[in-house]
Amino acid sequence: MDIAALEKGHRFPPVPFVLDEAAVQRYLEAVEDTALPALCRDEGQAWTPPMALAALALRGLMEAMGLPAGAVHTSQEFEFRRPVAVGERLASRAWLAHRSQRSGWLALAVEMEATDEVGQAVLAGRAGVLIPQ
Amino acid sequence: MRPTKRTSETWTVGRELPSLSKALTQDKIDAYARASGDFNPIHIDPAFAAATPFGGTIAHGMLLLAYLSEMLTDAFGRAWLAGGRLKVRFKGVARPGDTLTVRGRVERVQDDGRRLFAAVECLNQAGEVLVVGDAEVRLDG
Repeated sequence: MDIAALEKGHRFPPVPFVLDEAAVQRYLEAVEDTALPALCRDEGQAWTPPMALAALALRGLMEAMGLPAGAVHTSQEFEFRRPVAVGERLASRAWLAHRSQRSGWLALAVEMEATDEVGQAVLAGRAGVLIPQ
Repeated sequence: MRPTKRTSETWTVGRELPSLSKALTQDKIDAYARASGDFNPIHIDPAFAAATPFGGTIAHGMLLLAYLSEMLTDAFGRAWLAGGRLKVRFKGVARPGDTLTVRGRVERVQDDGRRLFAAVECLNQAGEVLVVGDAEVRLDG
């Protein structure tokens, strides 16, 4: 995919993903998060870390976009609509919301959402990326 | 919603969120790459990264957001997972050897204390702001 040729409004193919127990544990250890395990113990529920959901949704998007080396992540917005249980099957969808050029950089804004099995959004977000030209 | 310890607390304008610090190492960046699936060489390949304008490896921006999210989970519990919003700009990069601090402060409270806006940031040991932004939670989630 030639990212520089994409037009505003371009929709990327949906990417299915799931965070199973092993993936969540690996993530919590990597980021040294002690707050979410405490919350899960308190509630008796196994929730996925919200930023792990976001990271996986973004990973699928970035792979679909084929971002070149040197691309810079400049801004990020997220809204977490509801807690997501470990093992829920989700899909991320994204579209190009903004495209402009300035000072040798291509500026992109990509809006995205992750939905559950019944199509309800559990996460929405917007990522700003600068790509050198 | 079953209130957690902190969400049952009263949040007032000016109150600090519970800050936390993390010592960043290349091993931790590598572990995050494996956990997130983001193997961009700018994060994990010192030789590649040395030839970039950064001059060395840098942490994933999403790793810094994970630290912010831990603080917000600690502060607001389930309310952060159910209706939390975060809007940030990346202003600098975190490198192996950095000591990072994430912190926040309540800026506005609305709806009889049920809707809360906080300024959040991530700084390095030199006090340089690497990430800055705003978080919103609804405590009646």
